[in-house]
Amino acid sequence: MTRTTPIRTALRVGLVAVLSIAMLVPMYIMVVNAFKPQQEILLSPLGFDLATLTTDHIAAAWQNTSFPVVEGYAVTLFLVLACNAVAIGASVPAAYTIARTPTPLFRFLLFFFVAGMFVPAQIILVPAIFVLKALGLMGTLAGLVLFMSSTMIPFTLFIFSGYIRMLPRSLDEAASIDGAGRQRILWTIVFPLMRPIVATAFILNALSAWNDFVSPQLILGPGSQFRTITTGVYAAVSTYTTNYEIVFPTLLLAVVPILLIFVIMQRHIMGGLSAGAVKG
Amino acid sequence: MARTTTTRRGLLSGLANGLMTLPAAAVYTGLTVVPVGYAVYYSFTQYNGIPSQAPTWVGWENYARIIADPIGDLRPAAWVTLVIAVVGAFLVNGAALGIAMLLRRTTAFNTFARAVMFYPHVLSALIVGFLWQAILGPQGALNNLLEHAGRSTLPFLADPDWALVTLVGVIVWAQFGVQLVLYLAGLQAVSPELQEAARLDGANGPQVFRHVTWPALAPTVTVTIVTSILSLLKVYDVVLGLTNGGPGDATQTWAYEILAVSFANNKVGLACAQAVLLVVVAGILSFTIIALRRRAEEGAEAVG
Repeated sequence: MTRTTPIRTALRVGLVAVLSIAMLVPMYIMVVNAFKPQQEILLSPLGFDLATLTTDHIAAAWQNTSFPVVEGYAVTLFLVLACNAVAIGASVPAAYTIARTPTPLFRFLLFFFVAGMFVPAQIILVPAIFVLKALGLMGTLAGLVLFMSSTMIPFTLFIFSGYIRMLPRSLDEAASIDGAGRQRILWTIVFPLMRPIVATAFILNALSAWNDFVSPQLILGPGSQFRTITTGVYAAVSTYTTNYEIVFPTLLLAVVPILLIFVIMQRHIMGGLSAGAVKG
Repeated sequence: MARTTTTRRGLLSGLANGLMTLPAAAVYTGLTVVPVGYAVYYSFTQYNGIPSQAPTWVGWENYARIIADPIGDLRPAAWVTLVIAVVGAFLVNGAALGIAMLLRRTTAFNTFARAVMFYPHVLSALIVGFLWQAILGPQGALNNLLEHAGRSTLPFLADPDWALVTLVGVIVWAQFGVQLVLYLAGLQAVSPELQEAARLDGANGPQVFRHVTWPALAPTVTVTIVTSILSLLKVYDVVLGLTNGGPGDATQTWAYEILAVSFANNKVGLACAQAVLLVVVAGILSFTIIALRRRAEEGAEAVG
């Protein structure tokens, strides 16, 4: 560690700087071109002329009926919160019971849940659609939330049960002697201690719900009144991929909020990811 | 008497335990386990998905069709998926490990650079696909720049071979950040004393990496390889945005075949057989890698 020469440090910093710029160029192209007319996007994709910069296309993208931006955000945010509420709310008591009941039956139950981590969500979507149809939930937000939550439960429950197992059992026993019931022990003693792992699960589930495209597209259906950010972008952009006056402003509107959240929460998001992987 | 109360208490607590797991079990069973069961059943039938027409049992016919591939549409998809999974996993992990070595020390500059490497992961893969399509398409930003510089344009997305290479490149750009975070976490766990000791014994940088850092990283490598292969096997959204499977079927992945070809054309039986095969392949691959890596991980314990 101590024998790093100034030249090597400079080389390393230079290399990292070049790589960082390479990572950011696509964002730069998107931002700059969102404010330019088609002609100029084609003429000079990287430059910009202050005189011809315009917010017209952003305004048009904002008003595009294929991608109602505000509603798209509202629906997507609702999915993030509702799926997390269902997945975390259902996983906490189940994980607690599994972690505190060391019988073969509950060990098998954990295995049963964990097996779901190897089933890709978009692959079981086709048969899941038939189940949702049978339940009368096809095309509804409730059906979508239930499906997305069910794909989150295996991982959420797995990291929760691992975490609860590390919490000393004597806590439960002390509370039990003081006369607290199981539900009370779980929600007032164990659950508050689980805050770090709940935050990890929330962040990872939120990212997957926010970015999911296939589930809302197929379960809500392309003609649905509800559009998420991804299905809205698809509806607005997929048939106009060379009309850059539509593509860049639409993409910009779709990514700005999540990038802002990322910049603010960057440490928690990346920390949550590595915490989840270490537990997983 | 005492005995009946204990059994009753046992029964009651068993019931309470059951109730605690019920919500999670119900949602998971209803929308993951039952659909897997349905997928297996439909995979042995011919079914167009219309409720009034019952599925007809055809045995292994769908699987036979996938393996024999009479009209030559499934093998290209299997090949594309294999290339993405194998080449993609190597590149994602190579890039992630290399950059993790560059960024392992926590300085303000490195923290910024880590975030820059990671940010594509928070964008949806569909949007990443559309963005790169606008940059690399025939009319895209890069080809316009080449044209204005007086060079000939490059068929990033127009030529079948180029398109596959471009797709792998875009996937690597978007995904290596996740594995980077995992490698950074793994590197924190490598004992600095051991590295220093190796250096004092006269080992140079590459030797320290090969004999100390790399063996100690073994558990991390297993996790990153398995997670990256699992996610690469089901690539779909980015394909939809970047190439929509084209040109021709040059970039149609297995997941694209299932959702955008078989299911979209009401071949539910075939789609389910393809889905079942993908889950089986993903499972076999994961367990093979975990088994193969066990030896390397045992070495890690000896070093760590």
